[in-house]
Amino acid sequence: MKSLADEIFAEFREHSVSEFFRRNAAMLGYTGKIRSLTTIVHEAVTNAIDAAEEAGILPKVNVIIKRVNDEPEHFKVIIEDNASGIPEQYIPDVFGKMLAGTKLHRAMQQRGQQGIGISGCVMFGQITSGKPTTVITSTGNGEVIRADVMIDVDRNQGKILNKEKFKEKWRGTRVEIEAKEVAYMRSRYGPFNYLRMTAIANPHVKITFVEPDGTLTVFENAVNKVPERPRPMPLHPWGIMSDDLLVLAKRTKARTVSGLLSTELSRVSKQKAEEVCRLAGVSPEKKPSELTWEEAEKIVSAFKQVKLLAPPTSGLRPIGAADLENGMRQILNPDFVYTVTRPPKVYRGGLPFIVEVGIAYGGNAGKAPEGKGDNETMEGEVGMDLIRFANRAPLIFDQGGCAITAAARSIDWRRYGVDITNAPLTLFVNISSAYVPYTSAGKQSIADEPEIINETRTAIMEAARELKKFLYRRLKAKERQERAGIFEKFLPVVARKAARLAGVEEPDIKPLLKKIAGVEHD
Amino acid sequence: MTREATSLEIKHRQRALKALAELGMKIVEDIKNGQPPKLKIPSRSTSNIIYDKKNRYFVLGPHYSVRSAGSMKQIKKIAQLLCTADFARELIESGKFATLREMYYTAEGWEVGPFHDQSESDAIIEDLEATFGLKRESLGLTPEEDGAAVYGQIVFREGDVTIDATKAGRGGYTIPPTIDDVEFVKCKAKRIIAVETMGMYHRLIQEEAWKKFDALIVGLKGQAARATRRFLKRANEELGLPVYLNCDGDPFGYHIGMVIISGSANLAYINHELAVPDAKYIGVTASDIVNYKLPTDKLRELDIARLKQLLKDPRYNTEFWQYEIKKMLEIGRKAEQQAFAKYGLAYVVNEYLPAKLKEVEGQQFLGKV
Repeated sequence: MKSLADEIFAEFREHSVSEFFRRNAAMLGYTGKIRSLTTIVHEAVTNAIDAAEEAGILPKVNVIIKRVNDEPEHFKVIIEDNASGIPEQYIPDVFGKMLAGTKLHRAMQQRGQQGIGISGCVMFGQITSGKPTTVITSTGNGEVIRADVMIDVDRNQGKILNKEKFKEKWRGTRVEIEAKEVAYMRSRYGPFNYLRMTAIANPHVKITFVEPDGTLTVFENAVNKVPERPRPMPLHPWGIMSDDLLVLAKRTKARTVSGLLSTELSRVSKQKAEEVCRLAGVSPEKKPSELTWEEAEKIVSAFKQVKLLAPPTSGLRPIGAADLENGMRQILNPDFVYTVTRPPKVYRGGLPFIVEVGIAYGGNAGKAPEGKGDNETMEGEVGMDLIRFANRAPLIFDQGGCAITAAARSIDWRRYGVDITNAPLTLFVNISSAYVPYTSAGKQSIADEPEIINETRTAIMEAARELKKFLYRRLKAKERQERAGIFEKFLPVVARKAARLAGVEEPDIKPLLKKIAGVEHD
Repeated sequence: MTREATSLEIKHRQRALKALAELGMKIVEDIKNGQPPKLKIPSRSTSNIIYDKKNRYFVLGPHYSVRSAGSMKQIKKIAQLLCTADFARELIESGKFATLREMYYTAEGWEVGPFHDQSESDAIIEDLEATFGLKRESLGLTPEEDGAAVYGQIVFREGDVTIDATKAGRGGYTIPPTIDDVEFVKCKAKRIIAVETMGMYHRLIQEEAWKKFDALIVGLKGQAARATRRFLKRANEELGLPVYLNCDGDPFGYHIGMVIISGSANLAYINHELAVPDAKYIGVTASDIVNYKLPTDKLRELDIARLKQLLKDPRYNTEFWQYEIKKMLEIGRKAEQQAFAKYGLAYVVNEYLPAKLKEVEGQQFLGKV
């Protein structure tokens, strides 16, 4: 006879993955109708870009969002890339297994750190619409595979429902996810803004976007070089959070918690690992797979009590001022751009990070972007548009609580001749680090570490000073032009009328015009 | 106009054309020398309007504003001024006249662009008048309205037309805006009696006051037009006729007379062409109201305020005016010229005017009545 506990456990396991998903929906980005749609786009586009970069291919990503059956909250999201494609046998795991993937166990500075990725999208689609996700992929060998994937929640496994193969010369992956309980809007939080921001921070990526009303937008790439991939390196304990540790515990080959800590994290010796376990009250001999959330939290805080060597500053991969400038020019078509990539700095005594700031002025910079969708434009706002990034990934939500926002707000913009409530100004800030200190598991805002705020502020002020010079020069040039225009218009009249009054020949005005208006005539 | 110009007209035109040519020449020279042309224009701001005690009228003080074609803000005004000057030159050369309003509309077609409103083009004309010390009429520009009327023994010549002001109908001769080009051919009259209202003007004509007093009767029609003032000035200077002003016994009547005598502040730049400082006020005074027991009206608040203003006005700084103004304030009443009708229509001519003229001319006039 089964014990009560067994029954409960069986019951729990049966729903484990979907339960996990539902309970953590907010943390995973599936909260709110617009945000859920943006999250699907984010996960799929991130995957697509990472896959292409890893294969050394300039990423080209097509995003199509279609309304299904004219229902207001029912959409199909199609994301297609030109990456290396997925070998047939990996399809179920890539799309059907939660907490699986090629990135999770390698700690490096990368876009997605969610650990839930594309399988979360499959899950979300499946829960809301009951439909499988369609995957079309080819490695370029002339054979294309089309498969419908669902997640077998019992086993936390991908399940292929239909599969067909056909001949075609093509390489890449196309994912079609159908979801309900989502809404499309061209708001700050919608997919359009997300893709626009992604294009700015990733100037080597070409993104084509078709909105539900059929509006086509192409964000052309401004750079033709695939950026250098960050080197995979173990995470440093100062920068990890409980969920990072749990993910590592699931993937490690170590058989004990102390082994997990010493092999998967950098600057942690066997001795330190045991000391931390002792401080945390966790048995060093415990199996990593049995580590609980609470224990993981205790270990993370115990690390703060021991002395460790700081992580190396090498391996940070900023966008680079030149590429960022190209990206901002390409997408915003501004009158002025200034970008700055600061040297590496550390926070919390040793965690390295790099701040990059870009200011674009005029053109399509600022709130209220170009074009129109079938919905409202960006809330009809004007003025400075602050766009935040962590490791090139757009931070769209939780703007208020973010260190970047705090830094931008601390600037007295009037000193730079800017009225941020009206100026057509886009302020770009990207924090690159393998240890971005997010305020929450939602990973949409950066904690107010004083060093990060100060460094961001310094970078913004450097760019703002250049903007001030530009605005001044432009004002002067405009004045000069107006001045010249006025004299060119009126001086000939003065000369002609005076000559007629005097009954003499009209005098040559060119020398005087040159003198008072700086106008050269041939 | 195809008629021959009179010698007077030719004289006026040549004077104006010379002034315009000098202005043009100075600017042409500046441009040739690579210097931004500058115009010195007498300031017409209130701070530069001064009462000239010797001449007894308002004049402009010594202040000038300098407009430079090298200034972004001023070159347009200079261009407009020169366009206006050139338009005046064309008018003068063709012997034509344009009203201020016509001139404002003409500017619509100028390459410097139209004026925003007529006050802008009027201001430029005033600049020209002040700069040259020439009246706008000399520049071919006239106000809208005609002057008033004159009746009496005088003969005018306008071009090839000769007009006897006693044979120009019951209304007399209408003084045109171009009165300066009108020649005085013959004048038997010995004085001018100008009256404020046309009612009184016609009364004096009917009662043959022009004959009884050897006078030219001028109807002012309220505040005198420039042409009327110019006629009075010329008749006074060229014909040696004393000018007597007969107005209502209220602050506005006083002032109609005073503007003829001493000019107005806002025309200070041209008062030397308009003011008749020797003209005498023989209108209804506060003393008359009392002495003749005239029917009166109560002073309104506006009248009282105006009288108090006049007390401080330098033009009224004489014993006579100070006394009469204070007296009117004291009795609190006012009376019109026509109030003398109380004693019969002819009373004003047979009794009142002779008495008034005796006051100003002494014994000489008595025998006439």
